[in-house]
Amino acid sequence: MTISKEELDLAPAVREFGEDNNLDLSWLDTRGEWGVKAEPSKRGLTLGDIQLGSYGEPGDHSDNMTGRPRGAKARNDAYRVGGYKIRSKADIWLSNAHVLYEESLQRQWSSATDVPWETIKPLPDDIERAQCQLATFLTEVEFVAAEVPGRWLASTTPDYFEPRMFLISQVMDESRHLDVFRKRAFANGGGLMQRPNVTTSGTVGSIDLSNDFTEMSSRLHITGEGSVLTIFRMGELMAYNEAEKTIYRLAAQDEARHVAFGVMHLRYLAETEPERKEEIHCYLDEGEGALVAGNQNPASRDTAQSEALAILLGGGEKNFDEGYRKLMAIRKRQAREYVQRVRSAGFGERFENGRANQELLAYTR
Amino acid sequence: MTNKDNEPQESARVKSRRRVNERLRDAISKETSGDLKDVEIPPKKLDWMKRTYQWGVKADLTDSGLTIGALNVGIYGEIPDRWDDQSRMPRGAYPMPGVPPIGYSISEKRDLWADNAADLYEEAIQRRWTPATDIPWESVAPLSDDVEAAVCQLCTMLCQHANTEIETLGAWLHQMSYGYHEVKLFLASEMFDAARHFEVFRKRALSNGGGLGIELKGDVKRMIIESRGGWSETALLLYLLRGLFTFTIYRYGSILANNDAERAIFEKSVQDKARHLSYGLEHLRYAITRQDDKHLVFNNLLGIGERLVARECRDPIVLEPLAVIFGGGVKGAQSGIKTTQRLMSDYVNLYLSSLKTIGIDRSDSLSDDLKSYLA
Repeated sequence: MTISKEELDLAPAVREFGEDNNLDLSWLDTRGEWGVKAEPSKRGLTLGDIQLGSYGEPGDHSDNMTGRPRGAKARNDAYRVGGYKIRSKADIWLSNAHVLYEESLQRQWSSATDVPWETIKPLPDDIERAQCQLATFLTEVEFVAAEVPGRWLASTTPDYFEPRMFLISQVMDESRHLDVFRKRAFANGGGLMQRPNVTTSGTVGSIDLSNDFTEMSSRLHITGEGSVLTIFRMGELMAYNEAEKTIYRLAAQDEARHVAFGVMHLRYLAETEPERKEEIHCYLDEGEGALVAGNQNPASRDTAQSEALAILLGGGEKNFDEGYRKLMAIRKRQAREYVQRVRSAGFGERFENGRANQELLAYTR
Repeated sequence: MTNKDNEPQESARVKSRRRVNERLRDAISKETSGDLKDVEIPPKKLDWMKRTYQWGVKADLTDSGLTIGALNVGIYGEIPDRWDDQSRMPRGAYPMPGVPPIGYSISEKRDLWADNAADLYEEAIQRRWTPATDIPWESVAPLSDDVEAAVCQLCTMLCQHANTEIETLGAWLHQMSYGYHEVKLFLASEMFDAARHFEVFRKRALSNGGGLGIELKGDVKRMIIESRGGWSETALLLYLLRGLFTFTIYRYGSILANNDAERAIFEKSVQDKARHLSYGLEHLRYAITRQDDKHLVFNNLLGIGERLVARECRDPIVLEPLAVIFGGGVKGAQSGIKTTQRLMSDYVNLYLSSLKTIGIDRSDSLSDDLKSYLA
């Protein structure tokens, strides 16, 4: 059904009817683009399907300070209550946020009922303690990735709602990660253990303190979640029952989506604002330092969580050395996957020009 | 509910997963026996192995699976009235000294807690739905222009309601201390629900030959967003004044709906909204019973807030589209106004009765503007 502009104007009869009945009805012809009919695709009616006409991709800059939905008719007397800090597209955009958001909706899961908890049987004390130590660590760091993106939602114009929607789905995913690892710690006669003995937040260069979205994303999505993703993908090697395998598999699926967001956003920025590349390289310098030193990387050396991983990978404290070697193999994978992601994001030159962290690169060989 | 993508071809997926895992084991094993054979292995410390406040805890599986509420056993179930830790240390974990603070501003249980938050969080996950595939979009059929325009204007407003919820929760969530993770988890799920509402009403507006309407002026959004006194005060405005209004519109969905798609949208949205209100009311009740003058503060805020809600409702774009939809078109708007009047009366009555459940009686002090809807 397509309606012409002329047809939209209030018919005199309608206007008279409104006046007779104390109705204003002026909203009937004061609106955004009219005549839009999105058709469902094979995946239902997706956000991609409704990107039509003026409701499609937004402009490079947004002057929307009132919070109106993109494409709605603006009014002159609306309060400028938004206070949005992010109004430049390159600051947050990526080409496929709507796809990642729809995927996240389809792949939601429940830690209460989708994990076969009944498969967890009593484990040797050293293994159970190692599982609980790792679960304590993950309970803490996974919610970093829920709190931090949430902070950007209120400060991003709704004109860029697709990435904003994705970030909300990430907040939900990470909430589930917090809850599932806390559940694991209490599911088998264990308990919570020592919180990380390294600093995960609150210092310059940490995820929390970024004032720029891309700076935050480079640390959260690329280095932080990227390193955790590699660990989750190795879940098969450190799981002792179907429940744990399921947890790692489902969490890895979520984490892969978050990492993809970061890679695609960096790529968009590199393509649209190449003048910012040097600045982004500085964030990557810091991120690589953190990857090597520890902080949020569970596979970093000499931490409670790396010892716990070595015990889990080796099959017990008695096989610690073998487990440690496996942990180093995982660390090499982490490094290689990181390099691949950064290349894919359009910042691969740092691996050719000697800028990348040499200690990190050593792991890739 | 299981992962929808995993349901079909389960065995093929399992087989493929097994193959991938075998390759992974082989690759790791090859590396450990090759390059890493002589890697230097640091001496074990293992000091963490005894660092726990309580060991031997086993949470019981419930009929609803292993729920977050079921984890509150032993010391892990002790939820203190004040949470002084300024980091993300999980409640009950063994602390380590020297961790820099992050700066959480909400550290008192009375300022965010609700006993039902953990259960509501699990319910939110169980009742998840997807606008793309759980709404029968094919049932949306052409409507008369005036009704379509009214539906689109209503959708525009409901998108804005959802957006306000997103921005409000986004601004507060990171200020809440980690010790009350049940509330943080629930509010994350509420934000996710709100995103879905934003999405589904936008989809409806753009799926039937219409388009978005005109934006709200923003009286109520401004009141909620600019409320900075505390989360409880913001929650009062978000849930009681705005939330109950949105909820009442959703509840009228069966009358508002022109097709199965719209019916499904309202049915699913009202379920979500009921959960949000359930947390909101429980928290406000909790806050009032633990602070002597809170009901006075709330009464003051509500007195002003009621006038702003009424002012927003006087904007023709708020109630007139409802009247047009109820009346089946502009010509029937006069009869539609009667239904709109009933909706508003239901809203105000629900508002007053909800206030009573949290210990506030405003039946004598209700603003004249809102009182007029009861006449």
